[in-house]
Amino acid sequence: MTPESTSVDAVSVKGLTKVFKSGLTKRPFVAVRDLSLTVKPGEVYGLIGPNGSGKSTTMKVILGLLAPTQGETRIFGRDSKEVVSRSEVGFLPENPYFYKHLTGLETLHFYGRLCGLSGKALSERAVEMLKLTDLEDAASRRVGGYSKGMLQRLGLAQALIHEPRMVVLDEPTAGVDPAGSRKIRDLILGFRERGLTVLVTSHLLEQMQEVCDRVGIMAHGRMVKEGRLEDLIAVENQTEIVLENADPALLARIQDLVTASGGGAKLVHTGRPRTTLERLFLESTVEAGKEGL
Amino acid sequence: MSEPKKRSPWFSLSRVWTMAAATVTQLVRMRILVFLVVLSVIVVAAGFLFPVFSAEQQLKMLKYVSFGALQFFSLVLAIVATALLLPKDMEDRTLYTILSKPVPRVEYLLGKFLGVMLLIGGGLLIMDLLLCGVLYFRQTMVMAQELAFLQQGNAMPEELAAEAGRIQAQGLGWNLQIGVLAVFLKAAVVTALALMISCFASSTLFTVITTFCVCIIGQGQELIREFFFHRTFDEAGEKIASGLFAVLVPDLRLFDVVDQVVVGEGVVAGAAWFMVGAGVLYVVGYLVVAHLLFVEKEL
Repeated sequence: MTPESTSVDAVSVKGLTKVFKSGLTKRPFVAVRDLSLTVKPGEVYGLIGPNGSGKSTTMKVILGLLAPTQGETRIFGRDSKEVVSRSEVGFLPENPYFYKHLTGLETLHFYGRLCGLSGKALSERAVEMLKLTDLEDAASRRVGGYSKGMLQRLGLAQALIHEPRMVVLDEPTAGVDPAGSRKIRDLILGFRERGLTVLVTSHLLEQMQEVCDRVGIMAHGRMVKEGRLEDLIAVENQTEIVLENADPALLARIQDLVTASGGGAKLVHTGRPRTTLERLFLESTVEAGKEGL
Repeated sequence: MSEPKKRSPWFSLSRVWTMAAATVTQLVRMRILVFLVVLSVIVVAAGFLFPVFSAEQQLKMLKYVSFGALQFFSLVLAIVATALLLPKDMEDRTLYTILSKPVPRVEYLLGKFLGVMLLIGGGLLIMDLLLCGVLYFRQTMVMAQELAFLQQGNAMPEELAAEAGRIQAQGLGWNLQIGVLAVFLKAAVVTALALMISCFASSTLFTVITTFCVCIIGQGQELIREFFFHRTFDEAGEKIASGLFAVLVPDLRLFDVVDQVVVGEGVVAGAAWFMVGAGVLYVVGYLVVAHLLFVEKEL
């Protein structure tokens, strides 16, 4: 990456408004209103919000699939309307489908060629992507026979085929089982380690919390909150201490110490930390698999 | 990690070819070629279906049935296959993954058009070769039979030569290829028209019905001009109205040289070139409008 390229925002959205014109009798629908956001290179940015809040529309405008009614969007400094801006981006739409008569490998070759890859470089890259997304065994199977999770992973593979500097993921774990969902989460974490910029939307807030550096919360087409995840979710006036193997006597002493300290400090909660249902599901199913159940 | 080479020129024939190849693969794997096999069987069978007719009639009927099969194959594929492509890509969101790559919309459209044309062209070529083979075989067969029959009746050499000439006129010749070219051009115009309609249509069914209706009107353009414009407008008005009508709806009668070919009449070079020119103009015109519609389409 050149110094120049790192200084430019990966995504820049300024004053974006998108209005959908409908039939003569219906009123125009404002999907996004005066939205501004930036995504820095190498950052994982989560765009969250309820259904119909304008997340997917924003992503489509960023990718040049929709034209903005007002405002502008840029990818690494290039206007999204320019086709060339898409050379640096890989996109995974929500519940992607591909040409079902092509095999997994043919699908990757198809998308690779569209990005200007060819010959040995393309073949090697396609195999590499199949390996990365655990689809090597299904490479010669037609996509029509793929499960939802496999389609999602193939979607990721095609998004990465041309080694983009940024990936845009629209609900990447929608309809995928927890194991598949975890796999996708791990891939996103891997992207971050490799310095890839990620713009992601998801309804699974717990997963977003695990992978995102910054988040923007959208509602009714507007950005209602934006910032670093740590800052947004920290409870300013509370401190968390997690102890291991603490006996009741020690806990009582801590409680006494807090009471004695004065100054308004109080113990809000003690108890055992809970695992998540997702983690429990994964541990149980992996264990059952090992025991051959 | 390997370092693949990246190229993103503003227009790339290689990307158009990639789209076209994927379209052909998709349509071939949808078993559309079964349809071609059935029609090819009809072509072969047509060569042996009319043994009670005269030698000339047998060859004419073979050409008539075969050209019917060629036209049916190319027009059905032009309308149905084209109507399936764009709306299906939108429904399945495949269009998003394609257009989010550095692929200009014009390349996507050209790729789809080229894909359908390759399939139709390939199918027509196979059926043309088959038709030529069967026609040559039947021509040789009926000629031998006819001449043997005439020789038995002690026919004069002039009579034998005249009969041989009549049979040859209905047999294999270059005008047959002009007929196949006309079928291909007509299919190209209909494909471009269907692609243009699918750019604003909301469904495959709408595209199929609308294209079919426009084709029927296009086929009867001469009649419409005669009955409506001739009676309503003066000479200048009729010319303007006819011109506008021919721009909006393709005059498919321009490509109907098949009747001449079937009866063994030659197609004059001027008419053939006019047909090619009109076909190219219609295709380019419809593709330009299709692009203008598609580039503004909200996905």
